[in-house]
Amino acid sequence: MKLSKKFAIFSISTALVAGVAFVAPAQAASKDLAIGVTLDIDKLDPHTSTSFSTVRALGLVYGSLVEVGPKLDIRSGLAASWGFNADSTELRLKLRKNVKFHDGSAFDAEDVKASLNRILDVNTKAAARANIATITSITGSGLSVLIKLSVPNAPILAALDGVNMSMLSSDDIAANKIGKTVNGTGPFKYVSWEPGQSVKLEKNVTYWKAPVKLDTVTFRIIPTEASILAALNAGTIQFSVLTSPTVALQVGKNLNLYRTPGLGYVTLQLNARVAPLNKLDVRLAIQCAINRAEVVKTAAAGEAKVVGPITSPAYASDPDDRPCPNVDLAKTKKYLADAGYADGLTIKAIVSPTQYATASGTAQNLKAQLAKAGINLELDILDNATYVSRWLAGDFAAAVANNGGRIDPDTMYTRYFPSTGNLNKVAGYSSATMDALFLKGKATGRAAERKLIYKSISQELENNAVWIWLFAPYEYRAAAKNVTGFIPLATGSLIELRVVDLK
Amino acid sequence: MSFGERISRILLSTPVLRIGSILSTLFGISIFVFLVLRVIPGDSIVGAFGIETGLLTPEQIAQLKVYYGIDKSLPMQYISWMQSFLSGNMGYSYSTGISIASLTAKALPVTIELALIGTILGVVMGIAIGTFSARKPGSIRDFAGQLFGLMALAVPGFVLSTTIVTITANKFHYFPNGYEFVRLWEDPWMNLQQMMFPGLVLGIAVAAPVMRTTRSALLETVDKDFVRTAIGKGVNARKVQSRHVLRNSLIPIVTMTGIQFGYLLGGAVIVENIFSLPGMGRQVLYAITKREYATVQSSVMVFAILFITINVITDLIYRKIDPRIKK
Amino acid sequence: MKRDPLKPKGGFYYYMQSTSGIVGAILLLFMVIVSLCAVFGWLPHDPLEQNVEFAMQGPSSNFWFGTDEFGRDIFSRSLDGMRRSLTVSVSAVSIAATIGVTLGILSGYLGRWFDQLIVRLSDVIFAFPAILLALAIVSTLGNSWYQTSLAIAVVYTPIFIRVARGPVLTVKEMDYVKVTRILGFSSLRILRKHILPNVTAPIVVQVALSLSWAILTESGLSFLGLGTQPPNASLGLMVSEAQSIAAFAWWALFFPSAFITIVVVGLNLVGDGLRDALDPARRSS
Repeated sequence: MKLSKKFAIFSISTALVAGVAFVAPAQAASKDLAIGVTLDIDKLDPHTSTSFSTVRALGLVYGSLVEVGPKLDIRSGLAASWGFNADSTELRLKLRKNVKFHDGSAFDAEDVKASLNRILDVNTKAAARANIATITSITGSGLSVLIKLSVPNAPILAALDGVNMSMLSSDDIAANKIGKTVNGTGPFKYVSWEPGQSVKLEKNVTYWKAPVKLDTVTFRIIPTEASILAALNAGTIQFSVLTSPTVALQVGKNLNLYRTPGLGYVTLQLNARVAPLNKLDVRLAIQCAINRAEVVKTAAAGEAKVVGPITSPAYASDPDDRPCPNVDLAKTKKYLADAGYADGLTIKAIVSPTQYATASGTAQNLKAQLAKAGINLELDILDNATYVSRWLAGDFAAAVANNGGRIDPDTMYTRYFPSTGNLNKVAGYSSATMDALFLKGKATGRAAERKLIYKSISQELENNAVWIWLFAPYEYRAAAKNVTGFIPLATGSLIELRVVDLK
Repeated sequence: MSFGERISRILLSTPVLRIGSILSTLFGISIFVFLVLRVIPGDSIVGAFGIETGLLTPEQIAQLKVYYGIDKSLPMQYISWMQSFLSGNMGYSYSTGISIASLTAKALPVTIELALIGTILGVVMGIAIGTFSARKPGSIRDFAGQLFGLMALAVPGFVLSTTIVTITANKFHYFPNGYEFVRLWEDPWMNLQQMMFPGLVLGIAVAAPVMRTTRSALLETVDKDFVRTAIGKGVNARKVQSRHVLRNSLIPIVTMTGIQFGYLLGGAVIVENIFSLPGMGRQVLYAITKREYATVQSSVMVFAILFITINVITDLIYRKIDPRIKK
Repeated sequence: MKRDPLKPKGGFYYYMQSTSGIVGAILLLFMVIVSLCAVFGWLPHDPLEQNVEFAMQGPSSNFWFGTDEFGRDIFSRSLDGMRRSLTVSVSAVSIAATIGVTLGILSGYLGRWFDQLIVRLSDVIFAFPAILLALAIVSTLGNSWYQTSLAIAVVYTPIFIRVARGPVLTVKEMDYVKVTRILGFSSLRILRKHILPNVTAPIVVQVALSLSWAILTESGLSFLGLGTQPPNASLGLMVSEAQSIAAFAWWALFFPSAFITIVVVGLNLVGDGLRDALDPARRSS
């Protein structure tokens, strides 16, 4: 090609490109938030999700009738208002107007009926079924719903919150699409799931609560927390959830760290049906031998709160309200002698170190502390699934466990301590007193009365040293400085990403 | 030749024997992995539901057993798995519903790529330093080379990995593995960046034994008569080194390389975790944790097939290098 | 007493000529002394004792290597850990090497179907994810140190089979060996005189390598809860546990790692010395 022709082509194309660039309006940079998490989700069905990572992600896509606010108060969600009848056997809900599912269909009473019925259906194996098992009928149309209960059950209002209580489209349920397609009312729409790598969500422009500012949210799976911190520092992700206290303590001034006391708690579960733990004196001996502050310092690097049985903020147990709030080795000796174990004894405890960051440390420190009192805590270290199968079978004398907490004490322990609870075998303890107290707790809706009842339950648990409650680890969210407006919730929910903006 | 003689001749012929032994190996692996998984406490239901298993009714558990294929007797379970596997159906991952074949098709290339990069880096570094060392045994060079070999062995892979991550990400704000993993054909440049550090860590681990084997083999060969003869005859020392010495030293080096590559193919789980690489190591570990029997079994079978292929290739390489080995 | 110059020099003499061998032997001696101290309990502190008031402190006169997050003395734990790591490593590799080398030599020498069988069996084990194997052994047989050794031994046996078999195949085809077979020399003699010397060097190298790898394998297993059980100490477990607090307590990571380095370096140098000593045709450094 002749030089002049080349030059002509070159200059014309440059001019065109420059012109287009000049004329095209400057596009706002897309607001994409990448969140680093260690675990992948394991399914797309909100009613059967139990793994925390799944619940956390699906919580951005689905909505429930009520929500839990930053102060852990119950707020309106898809239900705008509600009311109980006099004896808490009927709950009337008024649904929010103009709520749309992601596929465009409207949300109404039909969806509420279908969703609640799906949860109640035994075949669904819904995780929250037991919490709403007292529902006998759900009726209504348009934006009104009436729920009838078999017995007075005021706590059921709190039980309507959460991903396991997500409202799904009645059409999707009828067409059996749940778990295959994702169609919710949440602030973000599901885009894709690359197993082992990422979950991608995008903004729901028709969301009922204020405009969503982020354009996309991506959960990126980074298996080790140290690498998550590295990714934050390198700027490849802007948000993360951390559980390891030592990693959290390394978060520098270049990031924002949100530290909230969690609802979950670490405890040394005791199986009071197995000797020698069937003797109250032995259990009390253990309670009096443990310095909880020391466990927090060694196992959680000081990043936890010493707690009693109930961590629900409105009903929180006073950790000093127990026979031995502090170490009292003299008492331990006496209890052991009274039980006939003056020369000490051995108890085997199951532990799963891979379950959560503080498991191994807690077990080791407890062992060392109890050794000083002549109690040999033999550690049986198991892999996760082995631990869970033995735990479920109640096949242990003691277990170092990290159990989830709830904002309502009934939903927190109704599975464990009433003798009819599904997990009573695991709890290893029951009594007529306990059963009566739980029934009372379900019966009344009045806050002051409930507080007294659950205080009694807490005292009953501590006075009988049913388990050794230790601490509630803090939960951490770490974010880049340009992430604004985030409010962490003790439930671990990331729902407040709906108001977050990226500067 | 009688008919019987003909048959036995065919059956005992090398290729048939070869194939026969390969098939029996695969058969052995399938039984072994099947049994080992069943021996470990906890089943697919507990793996999937965790503590919520306690809330399932006996009827639900019976249903789930059918769903997870663990309701039948052990021999029946094995046969039905083998049947579907041999017909090309590797089964489904219980949690995602995605076929194991497609999960493996995504994870395997990642592991292969990582194993290749690690092995190549390791072999190149190892042979180079080993040769460097062996030229002048007992010298400072030798000492330095050997020191490298020992240090590379002594530092655990995860310590090296986390050190690299800490320095590059926190100090230099460079962490390609903090971005979503991209495939080689999607974005070669980014992919290589993401493979660079993990490949280096694995490469160093491979370099150490390769270096020591190289050095040891070279020193041994150099003393052999035919080498001394060649040098005595006046052949250029360099030529002797590359042509005769290296060639004859290759067998132990090839053996070591084969072992290392096979090992890396098994999935370098720790490195995959620290650098977020979605490879087979993570897939298998996750499936073991969740007791997803089908995924573990099928993944192990895939790896076994790959592995045996590599062995066959290694054997062929042996024969090429050393014509003295027949059969 | 003067050496008789006509007496053939023994392996020990050659070993002492090798610098690596001597350095390695010194390190090995150090390791053995340290381990014996741990065995007899001659340690400044109890490796399991938690002195929480002194937690996360750097090296001091009371705690020579500092303390970890539980206030345990890292020096005492390192010595105890050395003992435990070596026990696991040595027993695992002994089992693997004994079985592996025997099978490998026999397999290479006898050839044909026996060879194929052994090679395929070793492939079965090699193709198997080590974690799964370890998990199976530990869940069914218990999780003390011998189960961990067993798991590691099973995983390492195929390597020894492989490494032993290779040279045997080569040597077997060499003319002078073929001649001895034709001449009717007993297999045992051929094995001893011709095959064994050629196999020894790579085996010795592999033993030394495997001993070092075993320490690291044990570390990985401990990390997953399949190796040494906390609160007992092994060098590998200490290193993996120290990862989380390394940013605040470098000594918790540094000293066990240094001990691992000493073990690895020492074992490999001894391996070099042994190889030099056993192969009179070559003495390197």
